[in-house]
Amino acid sequence: MLPKRFDQARPFTTLGVVVLAWLLLPVAVKTFTRSAFFEIQAPVTLADSYVDDLQNFWASELKSKQELIQAGKSLAGLISKYSFANQQNQDLHAENLRLENLLNLPSLPAYRLEPARVARRDFSGWWQRMVIRKGRNYGIKVGSPVVYADGIVGRVAEVHAYSSEVDLITSPSFRIAATAEGDNRPVSYHGGDNETFSPPRGIVDFVPLDVSASQSQPLRLVTSGLGGVFPPGLTIGSINQLEPSTDGMFKTGEVKLDLRLNSLTEVTVLVLLNPDQF
Amino acid sequence: MIRSDYRWLVVFGCNLLLLWLCGLANHWLAHFSFLWIDHCTVSLYLGGLLVTYAALRLDSRHGWASTLLTGLAADASGALPFGTSLVLFGLIHAVMLHTRQRFPREELAFAIVVALLANLFLFMAISFLLIGENPRPASAWVRLFFDLLASQITIVLLTGWFMALQNTVFIFFRQHPETGRRVAS
Repeated sequence: MLPKRFDQARPFTTLGVVVLAWLLLPVAVKTFTRSAFFEIQAPVTLADSYVDDLQNFWASELKSKQELIQAGKSLAGLISKYSFANQQNQDLHAENLRLENLLNLPSLPAYRLEPARVARRDFSGWWQRMVIRKGRNYGIKVGSPVVYADGIVGRVAEVHAYSSEVDLITSPSFRIAATAEGDNRPVSYHGGDNETFSPPRGIVDFVPLDVSASQSQPLRLVTSGLGGVFPPGLTIGSINQLEPSTDGMFKTGEVKLDLRLNSLTEVTVLVLLNPDQF
Repeated sequence: MIRSDYRWLVVFGCNLLLLWLCGLANHWLAHFSFLWIDHCTVSLYLGGLLVTYAALRLDSRHGWASTLLTGLAADASGALPFGTSLVLFGLIHAVMLHTRQRFPREELAFAIVVALLANLFLFMAISFLLIGENPRPASAWVRLFFDLLASQITIVLLTGWFMALQNTVFIFFRQHPETGRRVAS
């Protein structure tokens, strides 16, 4: 029989053994374990997202013919607008290609667009993430940019078999090189200012002193394209306020982000077509 | 005949259910309007509730198994470094195993107090671990305070149900959670 003193300390001894074993465990085993534990829970997470879709489907079934006709009319208008925009886009693309060939410039990164439904949102004070319903089965890669109709959403942090986790631009760990619209000097954007009762905000640093923005004259912040992850020119948010930084060499300020980021149901993942080229 | 003993699995299964419900709640709480407030976002963390039953009612071996597995499951679905919850849940489990004989551990009120204290400890530990990443720690603490408040209120409301759920599952399997002996229905 073990001495009483040891018997009392047994829980802590067990904990010590567990911690030691965990520290000595190879990284590959830890990665596999994480993936396995995520995949155990993933079917339920995805299933309740499908149930939600079904619920919306049945709710739509209850709509009257009048409402459907009205929605059809609006949709027809949108389709003709987008068809024209698509045609313009193709012309610009051809012109861009012609100029690249003429000037012998390297071509810009090409992306495949992969639309995905949002299955789960997890917006805590520690991190801001969402789970989307596409993963390795659709060739999603870690680090791929995620966008929506009005700008960027975030980047893919982890890819699983049938789902991926996206780190949002509101997350404290999210950092990106950006530029103010009409200015090609890079600034630093990072997320993390998420209060309970106000919309999410980002923070912009290293803004040149001659750049100014205010509530009445906000400045659009866009991706710079530096780093090769995000294509240039995608909207991040708008700078509403700039003030000199503590060292006085740059300005720093708040970035107002779109409120819809918190309620997105559909996003698009940009999957790089030739990752080895960039 | 050797009978398989799955007490750890019963508690782990219930914890997975709670993790799923918590994730679902956070999904809907990511953006909502409340009375005169146009925008409101809050996040629940119920880690303290996940360790309470195993620490108070199960025997050491099965308690450790369910607590460590729950820690891994919680880490896999969050953005914490993998293994953080494993160590933190393990620490709470060890402390509770060491001290539980001195307290009325069958009482619901005691379970609520344990769940609240455990949750407070876990929440603060994770906050101190991750606050360094935040560019504005002062405003981040305000957000974390509201998240903690909402989580603690939820724990007070849910502990009774969650403990009863696990007791009911054990009654269904006619097993005593601590000894593993067959009990009459």
